Amino acid sequence: MNKKNLIEELKLTFADIRVNEDKNDTIKIHAKKEQVKTILLYLKNYGYDHLALVSCVDWINKKEFELIYILTSYNDNNETYKETGDIYLKTKISRDKSEVETVIGVFENAEPYEREIHELFGINFRGHPRLIPLFLEREYDVPPFRKDFDTRKYVEDFFNSIPVIPEEKA
Amino acid sequence: MDREQVVKALKDSGKWGHKYSLWAVYFCTGCGIIEIPPSITSRWDAERFGVIPVATPRQANLFLITGYVSVKTLRAIIRTYEQMGEPKYTVGFGSCPINGGMYWDSYNTIKKLDKYIPIDGWIAGCMPRPEAVFVAVTHLWTLIDKGMANAYKKYRKQYKYYRKNQEMALGKLEWPPLYPIK
Repeated sequence: MNKKNLIEELKLTFADIRVNEDKNDTIKIHAKKEQVKTILLYLKNYGYDHLALVSCVDWINKKEFELIYILTSYNDNNETYKETGDIYLKTKISRDKSEVETVIGVFENAEPYEREIHELFGINFRGHPRLIPLFLEREYDVPPFRKDFDTRKYVEDFFNSIPVIPEEKA
Repeated sequence: MDREQVVKALKDSGKWGHKYSLWAVYFCTGCGIIEIPPSITSRWDAERFGVIPVATPRQANLFLITGYVSVKTLRAIIRTYEQMGEPKYTVGFGSCPINGGMYWDSYNTIKKLDKYIPIDGWIAGCMPRPEAVFVAVTHLWTLIDKGMANAYKKYRKQYKYYRKNQEMALGKLEWPPLYPIK
């Protein structure tokens, strides 16, 4: 299957998705959050057998998070993959009700990415087996990668409030 | 060693021993550790100065903290430092342990390391060259000679302040106090 057919078939199969191609001819699919799992499963059947990354962007002015799933293939002889390269799947979720369904059922290696995003952005992944802290030692009122987390204020309030060790009395 | 130095060495043989066998614990934190392999191997050869890396903190008495310290690393640093036998000397390497360096406004990087463990000396720079390690080591010799490298004594005396700061940063610590807190 070539690139053009894949895009057309995607548009036919899934209602209201947008498929863009940027300057480097990378396919970018904009979908609703309910469709993510089925689109990933659909593309997996076409040989995109590796989820390279799940990432997140905080668009604070639009009041939404954007989740990005990057799909590649391990198989170098896959004709479709050779033509298209990596596929980017993007979805937007509301900032107030930041909840989305996990994709572990499709790609098992999404687990640490989703844990990381849960920890740093505070997005809740429904159905994730263990959303426990991955990197951070301390608890933060606002997850620290959100744009409304004020790092300088946090440094002032926390790190600078720890007192200097007094000198010994001679 | 020439004849005059023998007298000096015999007079204060403990210091003489400590000076020329500064064994460094091979503890890697941050990007500064990339300067340590060339320092200890044949290009710069740290063994000329008696510095060799050792596998466990129980054999070491020099602790190089080679870069930024995240909150999670601080826990490991304190545990390593407390396992080292006395006398122990700590050197902060690079600008990050001094005041946070380029991570001065980071949410998860310890800014001033000497609030949590005592530091004998600092090497400024981002990155310091391997030569700077040897400048630090030879300077440490002078301090040991004069009896001024006594950060580990300060740790013992001011332990309650250090422990308090450590608990502020890390929450409840799961190991008992090293020294009795009065």
